Amino acid sequence: MQILICVKQVPDDSIEIHLDNKAMKPNLKGVSQVANAFDTYALEMAVRFVEANGGSVSVLNVGAEDSINTLKNCLSVGAQNAYLAKDDLYADLDAMATAGVLADAIVKIEKDNDKKFDLILCGMESTDEITGQLGAMLAETMGKGFISRAIEFSVKDDLLGVHQETDEGYNVVSLELPAVVTVSKPDYDPRYPTIKTKMKSRKAVIPTFAAGEIGQVKEAKVSCIEYVEPPKREAGIKIEEKDAALAVNTAMEQMKKDKAI
Amino acid sequence: MKALLFIETDGEKVLGGSLELISALKALDAEGKALVAGNRLAADTVAALGIPVTFVDSATDGDTLTAVLAEITKEENPDIVLLANTALSKDIAPRIAVRMDMGCVSDVTQINKIDEKLIYTRPAYNGTILENIEVEGSTVLTIRNGSFEKPEASSTADVIEKQLVIAEDDVKAKIIDTVKEITESVNLEEAEVIVSGGRGMGSAENFELVKELASVLGGVVGATRPPIEEGWISRAHQVGQSGKIVAPKLYIACGISGAAQHTSGMMGSSYIVAVNKDEDAPIFEFANLSIVGNVSDILPLMIEEMKKVKAQ
Repeated sequence: MQILICVKQVPDDSIEIHLDNKAMKPNLKGVSQVANAFDTYALEMAVRFVEANGGSVSVLNVGAEDSINTLKNCLSVGAQNAYLAKDDLYADLDAMATAGVLADAIVKIEKDNDKKFDLILCGMESTDEITGQLGAMLAETMGKGFISRAIEFSVKDDLLGVHQETDEGYNVVSLELPAVVTVSKPDYDPRYPTIKTKMKSRKAVIPTFAAGEIGQVKEAKVSCIEYVEPPKREAGIKIEEKDAALAVNTAMEQMKKDKAI
Repeated sequence: MKALLFIETDGEKVLGGSLELISALKALDAEGKALVAGNRLAADTVAALGIPVTFVDSATDGDTLTAVLAEITKEENPDIVLLANTALSKDIAPRIAVRMDMGCVSDVTQINKIDEKLIYTRPAYNGTILENIEVEGSTVLTIRNGSFEKPEASSTADVIEKQLVIAEDDVKAKIIDTVKEITESVNLEEAEVIVSGGRGMGSAENFELVKELASVLGGVVGATRPPIEEGWISRAHQVGQSGKIVAPKLYIACGISGAAQHTSGMMGSSYIVAVNKDEDAPIFEFANLSIVGNVSDILPLMIEEMKKVKAQ
């Protein structure tokens, strides 16, 4: 099985991002750039599969020079190959144009290696924009079958079996390969690199493609014209009372007055 | 301007968030038609709200619905296609965008018309920042649950039934089994009262207080991620960016500090009560009523008081 994971680089999602009120842009100062959490789940799922069943895991990113580090981090936790599509023309892509670049880059990688990918995985959404559009758009752009929110997958005779997370449990879905699948959080965490894998990944050479080598860039239809702060809800009444019974009585009176109960 | 609403159904039931799309038409200043697939009774329910319905008797898996919506979009040629932001519709919207070459905006909470241009507002970064989005040409939108009012009953419109042949090649993913690990039905999206617990509840035993208060109030139990990871409650109860987006009349947050991940999912609540022992908890910055105190002291008393109120 040849598996490719599309990896997006995002600001570390363990840090709460707020608006920089002067620049009117998200304030990312001091926030490190990391691989999107759901993409790391997809990577771990793929690496586990290949460890058990054979094959190879590659990662692909559309981004800038600083994505190299994120791709190397992916190499240190089990990916064998990493590819970067990098061009100034990629600065303001919307999701659909990004899907187009990924699809073209995939064709290019397949041609260069004379080997097709059987399965393409994406995180179900990115933690920065949270549109959750990319995987579905990539499947459509490539004309492949699509399943979202996988928490587990298996393969039998070119038929992919996916556990698709639902509110109550999961669907068992089957789909012919090659296919595009998005990944949710499975019940395990991605592995950490070892010193050895980290050292090795630092030395890796990452093939980088420019737009001219892979295909025409689609013009963005969707653009963010401004960032704004969410309207603030005013803080209401705060009850700081040592005696719990008194605190609850005061709260009950207030809720009745506010017609909340 | 013409809009096509994709109304999601669960058997005969029309999903609440889908009906709110009818109210979004006003903000768009558009004429709307609805598409209902799979259940004729659901189609009648929607028509009773005064919006003409195209009904297609088809299967309701993602691949089939994508093909059906693409076909009807081709026929109707709308400027805007609207969907709710359920798991299913979130998959369909971007696929329609590629198939029909339309721009796609997800999780829209507000629509404004400025200088004849439509501006869509959506949250990013867990809701700490809003994006104002503009789209070139025709557009597919998913609308966040609770962003628009539920529509009122109106004079009944027509339902036109349409036969569609879905090509075999259009349905690639086949659902062969549905496994239910969580048997309880949890309807957070349509709840009027939600009592939620967070890490501050401390233990499974203490989390029972959250459940009891919810039950006394006839409400639904919500939770942040830690209680779910601890196994105090199933993930069907998660409220927030990676759970459900809710907008009840009353939201009682117990032992919840107020991380954006969670609060972005409950900011639409009309009245928020927060109980937390940390007087600097961020949730106190926007709760209507804040109680600084230990949940294990406050909640048992509140449960008793609420019982008295309910008995009246």
